[in-house]
Amino acid sequence: MTQAPPQPATITLDGKVIPFKAGQTVIQAAIDAGLYVPYLCYWPGMKPYGACRMCVVEVEGQRGTPASCTLPCAPGMKVNTKTPSLEGLRKGILELLLSEHPHGCLTCHRIELCGPTDICLRHAAVTDRCVVCPKNERCELKDTVRFAGVNLESPLAYHYRNLQIETRDPFYDRDYNLCIVCARCTRVCDELRGDDAISMVERAGKVLVGTSRGTSLLESGCEFCGACIDVCPVGALVERKPKWAKAEKKVTSVCNLCPVGCQVKLEVDRLGRVIRTVGDWDSPANHGQLCFQGKFGTDFVNHRDRLTKPLVRKHGALVESTWEEALGIVAERLGGYKGGGYALLASPRSSNEDLHVAKKFAREVMGSGNVDLALDTRPELVAPLVKSLGQAAATGTFWDLERAGCVLVVNSNITEEHNVAAVPLKRGHRQNGVKLLILDPREVELTRYADVWLRPRPGSEGVVLAGMLRAVLEAGLEDKAFLVEMAEGLDQLRASLARYTPEHVAQASGITPEQIAKAAQLFAASKPGAILYALDNIPADQREAVASVLVDLALVTGNVGKPSSGLYPLRPGGNVQGAQDLGFAPLAGGVGAAGLVEAIQAGQVKALQVLGDSALYADEVLHALTNLEFLVVHDLFLSGVAQQADVVLPMAAFTEADGTTTSLERRVQRMREATGPKGASHPAWAALTDLARRMGAKDFTYADASAVFSEAATGAPLYNGLSHQALDGNGGVQWPMTPSGGTGNLYQNGFPAGKARLLPVEVTAAPPWNNAAFPLLYTPGRVLAQPHRDVAVLRGKGLNQVQREEQVELYPEDAAAAGIGEGDRVELVALGTRMLGRAALSGRMRGVVSVTMLFGQLATVLQASEAHDPMLRVPPLDVLPARVQKVAQ
Amino acid sequence: MLRERVRKAITSQPQPVVTVLSSLLAVEDEMGYIPPEAVEEVAEHTQSTVNDVWAVASFYTNFRFTSPMERVVEVCWGPTCHLMGAQEVMRCAQELLGMQGEGDTSDGKVTLKYNTCLGACSQAPVVMADHKLVGRCTPERLAALLRAERTGYHAPGAHS
Repeated sequence: MTQAPPQPATITLDGKVIPFKAGQTVIQAAIDAGLYVPYLCYWPGMKPYGACRMCVVEVEGQRGTPASCTLPCAPGMKVNTKTPSLEGLRKGILELLLSEHPHGCLTCHRIELCGPTDICLRHAAVTDRCVVCPKNERCELKDTVRFAGVNLESPLAYHYRNLQIETRDPFYDRDYNLCIVCARCTRVCDELRGDDAISMVERAGKVLVGTSRGTSLLESGCEFCGACIDVCPVGALVERKPKWAKAEKKVTSVCNLCPVGCQVKLEVDRLGRVIRTVGDWDSPANHGQLCFQGKFGTDFVNHRDRLTKPLVRKHGALVESTWEEALGIVAERLGGYKGGGYALLASPRSSNEDLHVAKKFAREVMGSGNVDLALDTRPELVAPLVKSLGQAAATGTFWDLERAGCVLVVNSNITEEHNVAAVPLKRGHRQNGVKLLILDPREVELTRYADVWLRPRPGSEGVVLAGMLRAVLEAGLEDKAFLVEMAEGLDQLRASLARYTPEHVAQASGITPEQIAKAAQLFAASKPGAILYALDNIPADQREAVASVLVDLALVTGNVGKPSSGLYPLRPGGNVQGAQDLGFAPLAGGVGAAGLVEAIQAGQVKALQVLGDSALYADEVLHALTNLEFLVVHDLFLSGVAQQADVVLPMAAFTEADGTTTSLERRVQRMREATGPKGASHPAWAALTDLARRMGAKDFTYADASAVFSEAATGAPLYNGLSHQALDGNGGVQWPMTPSGGTGNLYQNGFPAGKARLLPVEVTAAPPWNNAAFPLLYTPGRVLAQPHRDVAVLRGKGLNQVQREEQVELYPEDAAAAGIGEGDRVELVALGTRMLGRAALSGRMRGVVSVTMLFGQLATVLQASEAHDPMLRVPPLDVLPARVQKVAQ
Repeated sequence: MLRERVRKAITSQPQPVVTVLSSLLAVEDEMGYIPPEAVEEVAEHTQSTVNDVWAVASFYTNFRFTSPMERVVEVCWGPTCHLMGAQEVMRCAQELLGMQGEGDTSDGKVTLKYNTCLGACSQAPVVMADHKLVGRCTPERLAALLRAERTGYHAPGAHS
């Protein structure tokens, strides 16, 4: 008997033989082969849905007309998409769809005849006109109608749903009169984001997208990531701000608002404005996902307040000037401050090119080691990684965490500060059963998904982790083989853990020995395990000690160097990793951001150069600046700092210059020039190059940003083999570069020093809080939804506003001491904040008062903000000393 | 308290597999309707979101979201009951309550519903009054039920 020859993995589509990969459906194979099959409900990356029936096909030898988005490829399958019966069927289905969608715009017979200035006279009713749809010219339904060859006869009758357009939620406009019920939005929210803020409600003929009982998005659990807008094929969901704007071109770049490194498509209109950011669905960094910041926070680049000309101080006032004059002044003045009297602060969002040239300028031209990032970027988080493992960076790739066994998240508000890094966690938890272990005294969005949420007394997080580590070792749950082969120092570690007995931990943190044992068991047994940590609310001098425990925990459980495992320090600042890699930090003995105020006040630093984001500088810095002799600021806006400057140089925004940025997962990616620099602004590196040459430096000759990067890469061993050209591909490169490309997981082939070093544990809990004026610690929280709490939404003319009384959670004995009973009206006073609310005696921790707010409240504030850069001002959830007192009802 | 009643209904479901739908049914059985709080409680209990629970709840026309009237009368409309005279029973009920289709009386006392099948075809035509099955129902029996002296209820339009 002869076996049938194995069939090649190909199908025939309309006579063309195309290959397919295992598990692909017909539509996926067709798209990969560059063939068009019309579809409206399918979206790459989401589960097949088969609702719109646009992609129906016929298979030779089979009955019926299956949808190609749900039809798995089989070798040798012969598929036709264009038979007369299919075309008739598709047209019929489309007509049904159009029976509820205004379609004057789709079927108008003048669709190709109209010029840009024509006014529509009786071809289509006013409300049906193509120009009144925000998705005009970018509507997928239109493409489908044209492809299907629906008759262009103006216009058929349709049933208008007559629904109110939802314009009162932040950032979004929703017009469900245009909805074709493809369910892409609800599926993206559920499958790809794990939020479920919207669902299909009602049934049959009345089914539409909606929220529970028709509430606004502010209460339904929406994180305003905009994913639903990006997938909507029609004009139902759109961004409010650039609602009517049309893109002339789309440029692939990287969002630099946070260090997750989401690849985006910047849409630019004919006036050269960046109108829209859309997540890049092909990017390995974010798989098409963005967050409220990236999606709605990039329009500051178009702001009318942008600086367009250099300003110099004349007779006490800043007046417009030329680059020639301004740089001449800077060159002359700075010449007098060479050495330690000069310092340079750069925004952590600066490109690698800016940082490299700034560092080189400061060291070589100014002879000063005083360069630093302007904000606290928590270098302590990576210090133990260097000591123990070798590299100051996250060990793995965020998106791999979708397949982890357990993820431990320590004091991190990921959803707000590193949003897209939370997406694989939420998806993994919901779809692959990834266990989520959260350690945080605050209630944040991820706690909703937590399998175990340890809520310790603020300041005792490190002790809890030490207790967990001890419990892992006591229970014999460590990865013995890994520890023998790959790590050293186990005995010292064991010895240092002796004092973290369950009783000691419970006493310090309020976490019971059972909870500790459960958490230890969960983390050690669910492999691979990963640890994400921002260490919010842990004092700077304690962060390194706490991070060391985390490194130990990862090593002891054998969770380093394997896919979907590892350590992820969540540092703030868009390009904080690039600055780390390029050594953008003060030299030994130099002045950094931390000591700058004192150095200025002591007269040690006399001249300061500031690169970008000076609006975020703390007030104390602002005050200290008056002691400077010379201040030069490169920035986008005339901030408070810039107003004090002697010279202000307009800087190009991240959408206006070529450059690179490095994400937390070591991904070096290219930011591309989408529009020309505004006015006479220049990238900081270009201005500094010019300045250096004026000051007589020879070695500052760069043809373009790519030349800068090549020089930077030569000097930074981690960037070996990287260049703009090498980074041009999708998703850039995760350093270190190897002959086969980037490195998703560090230490896969061992550690640079041979073995990793386990670090002895030296954490201590913060001493009991004792302050007469502010006797309590306030732990603020912010979550997307609070199903238990009554929320009233004020449906005003403008934005909807969340109106509610906050619930102030108190420990019963603390409440009793202050004479507060359940339901009493109370006032909470903490440093810099004051709020009214109702007391709830449900607190579990003595001395701690908690209030959990709704993300919707923040979203309306961000939407209404007048600041140029509201997304950089998302208030952190800081634990603060507080007092609570009863007030009159 | 409302929430506690709802919670108890959700947590005391006897079957091994608890779903959004089964929980909603348990609430409907206990309360006679799905109050807004129940959507939240079911979401919590089934580790779902309020939007998902609402998607299920709003799909089924048999759930009601406002509290029912004092008395609920359901007239079976299934084929067997139809053949055995349900139309007459229904017409009598509508006449007595002064309404055209189904719904709540304007005085807020009685809810009248069509029921697709009460599963008691052997006793057709069947009516369910306040969760109690009334078999072989005639217009007269129904009228008696509605006018029953024990409730003292006098439906608008009822001749007594």
